Amino acid sequence: MPTVRLRTAAEYPESAQRLFELSKSWFNYDFAEPPAMSRVMAWDPEFGGHHGRAMKRMLMPGEFTRAEKEMTAAVVSGVNACEY
Amino acid sequence: MSEDALWYEAAQVVGVTNAVNVVADALGAGSPASSLLPPVGESASDDVRALFAEVRAFYDGDVPEPFRVMANDPAYATDVFHAVKHAFADNRLGRRFKEALAFAVSLTTRSPFGTAFHLGEMKRLGVRPRGVMEILGVAQMFSSYTKIADTLQLEPDMGHIAPADPSPAPGGCPSSG
Repeated sequence: MPTVRLRTAAEYPESAQRLFELSKSWFNYDFAEPPAMSRVMAWDPEFGGHHGRAMKRMLMPGEFTRAEKEMTAAVVSGVNACEY
Repeated sequence: MSEDALWYEAAQVVGVTNAVNVVADALGAGSPASSLLPPVGESASDDVRALFAEVRAFYDGDVPEPFRVMANDPAYATDVFHAVKHAFADNRLGRRFKEALAFAVSLTTRSPFGTAFHLGEMKRLGVRPRGVMEILGVAQMFSSYTKIADTLQLEPDMGHIAPADPSPAPGGCPSSG
């Protein structure tokens, strides 16, 4: 059970809707409701915006492909024993 | 990365990387416990020499210290090394990327041995500083996301976006269900 009440996308201001659209496009998936992490990050755009850009910058194809980097992210999450 | 075979390979890399790192960090040079199980020298026995020759060929260099520690039981060390060699060999995932995964695992588990060793292997296999930075950044950012998720006790809500792989286990039959 989350320690905070996760707001629905509709409860966020207009500026956050743009972030949710970017999230859809990033995952190439039409979520009924943005993922919990996207909504958490949209709570404070001054934090979430920078954090999200840093993440995307690192996940962009470079010497390693996006798929390889997504696998690395999954492995790091697994090693951190993070269920989310 | 939708085929399960790729994830099984990644899991093997994670497992054996951690296995080697725990020995290196707990018993390697500089550890307070290093004198309890000293690294085995070259001339220990024929089976140790054979093992070390194989290890050297695989890493194109010296025998990493954890294998010298494990060689106190040569049969055990040989089995561990063969598992490591199999896990890191070019297969569906390439060795270069597997070393990057091992670097990310070592970094995340704060293993001084593993971080330095797999960074060295990445460079030896041709990964440039930009590539190292990419893996460092992914490991760092997802160490942040995971702790934010854990702090807020978020429940998984994205598992359904990955397609399931319907293929059977290697050599097996497709599911009848």
